[in-house]
Order: sequence, then C-alpha cells, then structure tokens
Amino acid sequence: MSGREPLTPGRAAVLLDEHVVVRGLWRAVDVFRCLALAYAVWSAWERREEMVNPTVAVVILGVLTGWTVVQTVRPMRTARAYTVELAIACAAILGTRLVDSPEVITSGAKTIPSIWPSAAIVGWAVLRGWRGGVVAAAIVGACSFVEVIEPTANTVTNTILGLLLGGCIGYCVDLTRASHAALAEAMRVEAARAERDRLARTVHDGVLQTLAFINRRAIDIGGETAALGAMAGEQERILRTLVSQADLAEVDRAVSGEADLRGLLAHVETDDIALVAPAEPVLLPRRVADEVVAAVEAAVDNVRKHAGQGARAWVLLDDDGAGVQVTIRDSGVGVEAGRLDEAVGQGRLGVSSSIRGRLADLGGTASVTSGAAGGTTVELRVPHAPAR
Amino acid sequence: MTEQGQGSAADHVTVVVADDHPMWRDAVARDLADAGFEVVATADDGRAAVARTRALVPDVLVLDLNLPGLDGPEVCAALSAARVPTRILILSASGDHKDVLDAVKAGALGYLVKSAGREEFLAAVRATAAGDPVFTPGLAGLVLGEFRRARTAGPDQGGREIPELTERETEILRYVATGMGYKEIAATLFLSHRTVQNHVQNIFGKLQMHNRVELARFAMERGLDLGDPAT
Repeated sequence: MSGREPLTPGRAAVLLDEHVVVRGLWRAVDVFRCLALAYAVWSAWERREEMVNPTVAVVILGVLTGWTVVQTVRPMRTARAYTVELAIACAAILGTRLVDSPEVITSGAKTIPSIWPSAAIVGWAVLRGWRGGVVAAAIVGACSFVEVIEPTANTVTNTILGLLLGGCIGYCVDLTRASHAALAEAMRVEAARAERDRLARTVHDGVLQTLAFINRRAIDIGGETAALGAMAGEQERILRTLVSQADLAEVDRAVSGEADLRGLLAHVETDDIALVAPAEPVLLPRRVADEVVAAVEAAVDNVRKHAGQGARAWVLLDDDGAGVQVTIRDSGVGVEAGRLDEAVGQGRLGVSSSIRGRLADLGGTASVTSGAAGGTTVELRVPHAPAR
Repeated sequence: MTEQGQGSAADHVTVVVADDHPMWRDAVARDLADAGFEVVATADDGRAAVARTRALVPDVLVLDLNLPGLDGPEVCAALSAARVPTRILILSASGDHKDVLDAVKAGALGYLVKSAGREEFLAAVRATAAGDPVFTPGLAGLVLGEFRRARTAGPDQGGREIPELTERETEILRYVATGMGYKEIAATLFLSHRTVQNHVQNIFGKLQMHNRVELARFAMERGLDLGDPAT
C-alpha cells in the first residue's frame, strides 16, 4: 500500500457517510424549489395582462405552492413523492394551455411553472442516478413540446438544458455511490487483513513451531511415529503458506483495479513447488494478471507431468521496473535438443506454445530453455503499460 | 545451498541459541552439541539474547525471528551497533516475510525456516560460522525485490541509498531464487564455486547497513533504544 494515502479513521468516517454528498444535493433541491416557485409567481405576475384565463394560473401556482410548502416543511425523498412532484410539474406545464391563447404560447411565452420542474429532474437524478435524471428530463421536455404544439427555440433549449442537468447530476451521484462502495469494500478487507495479521502473530507462530517440533522429534524416534511426524510437517507447511500469503491484492483490486500476483499465485505452492516473491506487491492490471496466472498454472502443470519423480520447482516473481518477469524452473529432466520430436509427442511443446500465445497477446514474451545442470526453465515477461 | 564445510568446520564453534519456546530451544541446543558445537548459552527473549551475545561473543547466534522483548531485526541492529563480531543465523517458524529482510539489513548473515531438516540446519550453522551467507530461494526473492524497490523508489525509509547490483550479481541472485545451488550456478556461468560465493557475499554487503547512523535510524523507526542494549 506504499505511496497510497492511508485510510485514517477520521477520513474514512467522512467518506463512508454517503449522505454527506447526497444530503447536500437534497438540501440544494429544497432551496431551489422555493426560489423557482418565487420566480414562477413573479414571471406570471409580470405577464398577467396577456393571460386569457388568470384564474387557472392562480390555481396552478396554488398547487405548486402547496407542494413546495409540504416538501420544505417535511421533505420526502422517496420515488413516490418525486413521482407526484413530476406529475404536478407536467400538469402545470400542460395547464399553461388553458391560461394563454395559442398566439401567446407560439410567440414563446414562459410556461406557468417556469423553472420549477427542474427540482423534480434533480430529485430523480439523486434518487436513480443519470438514468433517473435523463428520464425525468425527457418527460418534462415531452410535456413542453406537447404544450407548445409548434416548438419554439426556448422549448428546444430548455429541454436540452433539462437533459444535461439530469444527466450530469445523476452521473455525479453514481460516481459518489460507486466510490463509496469501493471504499467500504477496501476498508472491510483491510480490517480482515489486520485481524488475520494479529492472529498470525499471536497464535500461528506458536502452532507452527510446535508442528515443526513434532515433525523433527518424530523423525528421530522413527517407525510409525515418523508417519505422524510427516503429517505434522504437512500441516505446518499448509498453515505457513496461509499465514504468509499476501491478500493485500484484494485491497488493491477494490481501490485501483490492479492485482497482486503474489496473492493470485499463492495456490501453486506445494511441498515441491515454492513461490519466491518480493516483500512488496507485484502489481499488474487485473486482466493481464489473470492471463499471467493462467500461463504460470500451465507451466506448473507441465512440471508436475513431465519433470519426473522427486523434481522440485521454483516460481520467481521479479518486477524490474520495466516489466514483470515470472521464472518457473524445475530440477527435473530437461528438454534435450535431439528429443524435440519426442517432446512434441508428449504434449510438452504444445503446452509451451499455448503459454507463448497467451504472453504474445499481452505484448510479452515467453521462452523455454533447458539448463546445463538439467531441468527446464520457463521465462514469462510482461512489460508494464507505458502510462506507468 | 551450502556445499562446503561438511563435517570438519564444527571444530570448536561456539553458539548461543535464542528462542522463546523451551522445547525447541533445548532440541536445537542438543542437536548442536551432538554435532560437536559448543553451546555456550541460551536465551529466551530478545534482551537476554543481546546481553549474552555481547558478554560471550560466540561465533554464531542462532536467533528466532519472533522473540519477546526485542524481535529478530532489533536484536541484529543492537548487536551490529555494538560492533559484536558474532555472525547471526535467523530461524523463523512462519516463512519468508518482511521481518526476515529487515533482519538481514540489520546484519543477520543467514536465514532458515524452522521446518528445515537437521542436516540442513547444521550445515547452515557451519556456513554461518565460516562467514558464508545462508540463502534460501525465498530470501533471495526478498533481497532481489528490495534491490528492485530501491532502484525505482530511490533511498529507503531511512534516507539511505542502497547500491545497485551489477548484472552478474542480479543474474546470480535470480538463480539462487529459482532454487539453484552454488555448484549449479558455477557450472552454468563457467565460474568457480568461490567466485559465486564472493558474489553472494557482495550482494549481502550491499544490502546491509554499515554505520551507526543508519542503525540508529533503523532502531528509532522500530522504537528501539540502542543506547544500552544490555538492560
């Protein structure tokens, strides 16, 4: 986790409370609704002379005022409340038809609710993200088009602004929710890791020690006891792998989309196969890491099948800054140049060509060599993305 | 990893064994005594390990990584700071991790997992007494990673520049990390066994902290007072 800002409890508490951002938006909606109502009343008053039927305008504004008061005194932040608000807004827009003469409307007069319907658009954006915002804006826009019959420049502009408003605010809310979820996940994993570290320190060290001791003494005593000792030794190895394995990968995955090869390859370790890695995470983008893991698994399988009885293998992870190199070496029988045909027959080269294919897809390379001292070495190399 | 010194090098090698598990400590001490080493003292916590090693100056300190009082890296730092010439072999129950690397940087010469067999353990003590680093592939991987990290990240937390490895040293380290013994490496690179050993010693030398300032900074980071390690 080096280089990344630590999750201090204070910072986490602020970020964890999703409502800090969302609640702020809700308050803004409430204030906006009141101001929009005042503006709508003032606009209607300004053009009272040109209205055919001012009584209907008063009724519409009365309903808007009633709803605004209700939502200000006791705000309801539910889909049902905002369905009602959207319906009122649409009815108010359509009701303008009853207030004004067709000539006034076609000349581009304001609707009676004016900008008041925007509150409903933003409300839906906060409730349902960008989809909610865009749908609400589309409904409001559709009503304005129906109301004017012949669209004016204002109708088009206002509809586009409504769609932008709903889409942008909804998108921000989506981002807030997504990062909140990632952070909550990261903190959960971090807490789990801290707890496991604590257990590892206190309990496991003693247990490992005892198992190793039983194994050692049992070999001294010999006979049936030696078999018991071997069982203790086996458990010791499994537990040791479990305790020392790095699952910090999970945190990185949640936060940055990168994965730690050390954690992803922990499962290849057995009595005969050792995973050799640095103390720091070996990071690759998740998709690349999965391909590398598949290639390593294929190479390790190859060792199990072909390296012969009693062969040991080592899987080395090495990040030299320019790329990640994974070396799989076994102490078994190598591929001699003269035995290539035989090797093809055994399916051994088939596996290595599939490994080459995988690495080539990642822009990397793979090579298989046979050492002077016997055994086969598979080298996989994946360059880091230039952006690093 | 260490093919040399089978048998004869045990001639009067003095050893202190520090481990907090009595069963384990006694078994290790008995194995060492049976193999001809002289176990001059045992210790059951970090402070006692430092005090007895300073007082008796044995050839080798066999040190458990997780001791109460002072842990393995802190014991190594305290002994290095006090300029005790004893060579330190780290034993760890829970495998290769960062503490092993810290112990090596603070002056330990070798490292072995506790589940290693008896012959492997005795060979490691002999090699340590002779001044040869005892490397497991796991430790080689950690050391390699540390040099890589130092190159990309610059000076370490203590503000110290770790010297770069030569290409040859990197090559040898990667061979050790993939389980090759010195003999195999020598054969592969057409070098003598001794040359490979020298390279490995140089790699250790580059990693270790050499002066009191570095050690004091390391100690302070770990909340350890080097002023009077005997208390």
